[in-house]
Amino acid sequence: MHTKGRWTLLLAILSVFALLASACGDDDDDAGGGGGGGNGDLSGTVAVSGSSTVEPISSAAAEAFAEENGGVDISVEGPGTGDGFEAFCAGETDISDASRPIDKEEIAACEEAGIEFIELKVGFDGIAVLTSPDNPLECLSFADLYALIGPESQGFEQWTDAQELATELGADTEFPDLPLELTGPGEESGTYDSFIEIALADIAEARLEEGAITEDQVETTRPDYNSSPNDNTIISNIEGSEGSLGWVGFSFAEAAGDSVKAMAVSEEPGGECVEASSETISDGSYPLSRSLYIYVNKAKAEENEALSAFVDFYLEGLTEFVEGGGYVALPEDQVSETTSAWEDKTVGTREG
Amino acid sequence: MAAAPHALAGEVVSARIQGRRADVGGTLFKYALLGALLLTIAVLAVLLYSQVDRGSEVLTGRLGDFITSKYSSLSTRAGIKQGINGTLTIAAFVIVIAIPLGVGAAVYLEEYAQKTRLTRFIDVNIRNLAGVPSVVYGILGLAIFARALRNFTGGASVMAAGITLAVLVLPIVIITSAEAIRAVPDSIREAGFGVGATRWEVIRSHVLPYALPGILTGTVLSVARPSARPLLIVVGAKTGFFTGGDLGDLRDNFQALPSQIYQFSRLPESTWGANTAAAIVVLLVIVLAVNSAAILLRNRFEKKR
Repeated sequence: MHTKGRWTLLLAILSVFALLASACGDDDDDAGGGGGGGNGDLSGTVAVSGSSTVEPISSAAAEAFAEENGGVDISVEGPGTGDGFEAFCAGETDISDASRPIDKEEIAACEEAGIEFIELKVGFDGIAVLTSPDNPLECLSFADLYALIGPESQGFEQWTDAQELATELGADTEFPDLPLELTGPGEESGTYDSFIEIALADIAEARLEEGAITEDQVETTRPDYNSSPNDNTIISNIEGSEGSLGWVGFSFAEAAGDSVKAMAVSEEPGGECVEASSETISDGSYPLSRSLYIYVNKAKAEENEALSAFVDFYLEGLTEFVEGGGYVALPEDQVSETTSAWEDKTVGTREG
Repeated sequence: MAAAPHALAGEVVSARIQGRRADVGGTLFKYALLGALLLTIAVLAVLLYSQVDRGSEVLTGRLGDFITSKYSSLSTRAGIKQGINGTLTIAAFVIVIAIPLGVGAAVYLEEYAQKTRLTRFIDVNIRNLAGVPSVVYGILGLAIFARALRNFTGGASVMAAGITLAVLVLPIVIITSAEAIRAVPDSIREAGFGVGATRWEVIRSHVLPYALPGILTGTVLSVARPSARPLLIVVGAKTGFFTGGDLGDLRDNFQALPSQIYQFSRLPESTWGANTAAAIVVLLVIVLAVNSAAILLRNRFEKKR
């Protein structure tokens, strides 16, 4: 009796070994016949990381490219623009997706590691300012946003708490008497950086000169808000309460539908309120619009044929990939600018 | 639960008739325990129902396609094949590495080692290891298996993740196996020694077969424990599109179901919600299948002994 039980166990373990061994066998076959799949003779690896906003565009390009080139291993990830540049400047990735231009510290890190990059603009995205459909407000100016989200708003728990500051900044919006529930992306996110850069930075600079805030606070938001790397979490927090406020990428806000309300935004208090749409983002009239980029490691592009073929392919189908991801495509002249920057292998950033 | 007052009345009446004291507390306690059981099952049922409901579009519309295609940025084309492959491969690594090592260590600790201060110290530490959060193992795995041994494992590969997970469940396998071996009555060992068997013969043909059902329950449940999402991501499960991820790509990029679900959950709910839910249901079904297999196997061994 016991003998039989033991044999069953032994058999089970052996069969697992057999499974693994046969699996290893497959692996060898694949390596041998790898070039046979697809029509390209290309082989190699391409690693893309960076902005979660740009990820769907790069993913679409990678999928279409992989279908035609079976021998190339591609991976695309979206931990955030900042994390992406960290890996890129450490030489761990070939392409870094970014929802803002590379910043000075990141350029320094890349220089130190001897990494030259080619900056390619791929499309536009807007940042949507969201609230609940029950919120009576329809439009916010940059001054309002600064009063609600900027560094000086720390501790504001009601919309009305921000009234005094907003009025001081010249805004005439009347805030509703609701609890202020803020949710937004965290510091690792390019959407966080862009929001500060576009909406808050100018006012913060002025406030610094007036002595209202310290230098450390200029490029920050208030620290006491719910931050999440997951856009679904941000959306569901905004749905959840009447007095909610938050910001996400426009494509994500569009996918969320009517459960949240996108606010119109004006640059100056009392200025024209513009709603986010592909038209207003593309022509730049929506104040919270930004450009999306990919950064290619130049040295790797020169020695890795698969990488340069992938970027060629990416730029050829650019408009399709960008619009497929729900973003706003570049106008003709800017597409050719991007293409020539790639063909000339123009090194460095041309933005700010 | 609605039957409780009724049953209580029945108990009082029948106690009167039989001329004994009514066991009111005992009857109530029985129903409280039943309630605890029902509550647990209800949680599972609600979870299962809500996910099946949310994922019904995918589960009924394109289930075959869903489990046989790779990740795509288009929600209508995306599948979880890479995740299933990764999960199965990792489970195979755990079975091959953690079970022999764990059962071996348990047999040594229980049957051979003297009960000294040192073995007690080791015992306490194994129990301690079982309580360490999985993310700590993830960092260990990243440092050792994905970085230091990258020439062997191929970097952040399914092999690195499998070995890391094996190390994670090792203490649990040792503890449950040791408990099962300790539960074997000494009279069985003594009978073996009494007829002149050696220690190894006693262990092989008496102790292990007797302890096998217990060992199996503990170890297979630990294999099916796929809750190590942070570990997988730290070790390097991909969180986006990637080529590869086939069964047998041991040294390549990989994805596993828990981290795939996490990845899906970050995408827009309106288009990806059904995929997320369907992936959760598939994971639940796989875990249920593995656990049922373990229970069937245990029952077989229990009948035989």
